[in-house]
Amino acid sequence: MRLHQHEFHALGGPCGLSFHAEDDAAARVSAAVEAEVRRVERKYSRYRDDSVVAAINASAGQADGVLVDAETAALLDVAATLHEQSDGRFDATSGVLREVWDFRSGRLPEPAAVTALLPRIGWSLLRRRRLADGGEQLWLPRPGMALDFGGFGKEYAADRAAAVLRAEGIRHGLVELGGDISVVGPHPDGSPWRIGIRHPRDPARAIAAIDVARGGLATSGDYERCLIVDGRRYGHILDARTGWPVADGPASLSVTAPSCLLAGAVCTLGLLQGARALDWLADCPQPWLAVDAGLGLHGALARAEVA
Amino acid sequence: MKTASGLLLALAPAALAATGPAQAGEGSVEYLYSNYHEDDLPASRSASGKAAGRYQVDSHMFRAQQPLGASDDLSLDLTHERMSGASPWYVMPDAQGRPVQVMSGASISDIRNAIDAGWRHDWGRRGTAKLGLGYSQEEDYRSWQFSLEGELKAWDGTQSVTAGMSWFDDRLEPTDGGSPLYPGRVIEAGKQGGSLYAGVIQVLTPRDQFRLTLSTLWQQGFLSDPYKLAYITGSASTVADSRPDRRVSGALSAQYRHSLATPGLALQADYRYFQDDWGVQAHTATLALNRSGSLWDWSASLRWYSQSQADFYAPFYASLRGDGLASSDYRLSPYGALGANLDIGRRLGAWRLGAGLGVYRASEDYALGSVALPNPGLVSWRNGYLQMSRQY
Repeated sequence: MRLHQHEFHALGGPCGLSFHAEDDAAARVSAAVEAEVRRVERKYSRYRDDSVVAAINASAGQADGVLVDAETAALLDVAATLHEQSDGRFDATSGVLREVWDFRSGRLPEPAAVTALLPRIGWSLLRRRRLADGGEQLWLPRPGMALDFGGFGKEYAADRAAAVLRAEGIRHGLVELGGDISVVGPHPDGSPWRIGIRHPRDPARAIAAIDVARGGLATSGDYERCLIVDGRRYGHILDARTGWPVADGPASLSVTAPSCLLAGAVCTLGLLQGARALDWLADCPQPWLAVDAGLGLHGALARAEVA
Repeated sequence: MKTASGLLLALAPAALAATGPAQAGEGSVEYLYSNYHEDDLPASRSASGKAAGRYQVDSHMFRAQQPLGASDDLSLDLTHERMSGASPWYVMPDAQGRPVQVMSGASISDIRNAIDAGWRHDWGRRGTAKLGLGYSQEEDYRSWQFSLEGELKAWDGTQSVTAGMSWFDDRLEPTDGGSPLYPGRVIEAGKQGGSLYAGVIQVLTPRDQFRLTLSTLWQQGFLSDPYKLAYITGSASTVADSRPDRRVSGALSAQYRHSLATPGLALQADYRYFQDDWGVQAHTATLALNRSGSLWDWSASLRWYSQSQADFYAPFYASLRGDGLASSDYRLSPYGALGANLDIGRRLGAWRLGAGLGVYRASEDYALGSVALPNPGLVSWRNGYLQMSRQY
């Protein structure tokens, strides 16, 4: 048994898996995991017109709504919880803000253009009816409303990919999808995987290292996409209630949890708290690491700082 | 203010439904030390007129749990207990005719070792099944136990049905059984039994849950206590504790759980009604407040209990009953009890440290109705434990 690695590009970024297996199994395992990631991507991509997300969005304003399966319904439950727990800061219907927020343009949107989009955002406007097969009928009542699975879809894909690793009999391995990590189990000698956390102001350096033996690790930061206008940083974390980026939050937040989905949820909602993020995280039972704007480290994982 | 611990609590069911049980499977090891200590028998209830020490148990438990693939896990419990002290032997009338307790003269000192193994299979949103096998041994006692439990969840996850069965087979070879010192004590005996239960859990609202469980237990064989006697006043002599060789009981439990607005804080009320064919009827009511899901978790509970006596029970007998049955065991007497427990735990990364205290006091004053002749052996006890566990 030795360490195998497989890299591919999906979900808009680099993906990789590392696992310990016999040589003759490695190719089969890699193909199965990659296939699962591509299945989730195809199903929930907002860029494909044959995806479930496209079908949902095409139904906006239609009287019959749309039927979705049990897997999608389970993800909608996740979105509903994130909306409720963030008091509306997170909203799976806020993707329409991308129509005005272009983080590559170097320009801020017109405030009036942002405000004009707000009526099309509103998770609480959705109507959902459970069906006996675990799926549901879903209505997006206003034309132009759109749903996407950003904020938890990639984390979900990482957990699904790890489940495939496990189903293939792998006990020691991890999946990384663009910074979101789901770990099946530690190295064969029991030692954890050491994962470097990117320095928020220097992509080539790690600011900390976190040991993970099992479960998920998610990291999110203001560096992923941002605009700097007149010396002020506008991160890609948008408050769905206002349509504007959250100010004065941590530069980056990393969380470990039993699953990547849970870790990512804490990350996303933590960053959405802005200046209140550290208070919001204070009673978090899962270990976390926040890097503040002054590059100070906070949280139980801060002790893992790299020299 | 909403917080991260609230998010994790609220999201856990949806995350589990979405990603399946695979991510929940973590191995863990746990060590638990507990001490159970019965209060002294007060002088006023002791036949000797002097307070007498009672029973205590020191217990060490080690538990390991290991996931096996995505949907199975195995658990192993090893328990080592040291019991010592004296226990109630028989009850006799004092000069005023009031029942007073005679304690066993010799101090008991015994060791119990037990091993329990469990296998759990998870069908994700559909349900779980659990198989258990246990063996326990003392110098004078050995017991085999087997159990099978299942839970079926309804399609929308708001209703689930649970059912289970268990079976046990015990052999006892009492110390000094049949010896010249204790000629009436049985040399060797056995008992067997089984239980069945079925229940339903209904989620009423995201914050309210109701659970109803019906259970039955039957036992047969030697159900008497080989170390206890009963006193016959007519002949001023004792006879061996003697109970029917069959006992069938049933119980109905209802539980209501309400999650409060503070994340992780829940109020739980339980009521249980018990009845058996020895004539015992019992009521248990418990009120508990639990806090879970953050760095600190704790639980505080209060319990009230009341039971009526077994038909053949008496503190002592004027003459031997026609059916030959006789028992003065306080556990078959009419009484009530109050108990309180406090548990607290703290997570430290992959570690969890826990501790708890419990107090219990049985008294005729807490029983429903009045008790004419309270059993002098009614027990009060306190216990405490320290626990540490680690997930890996």
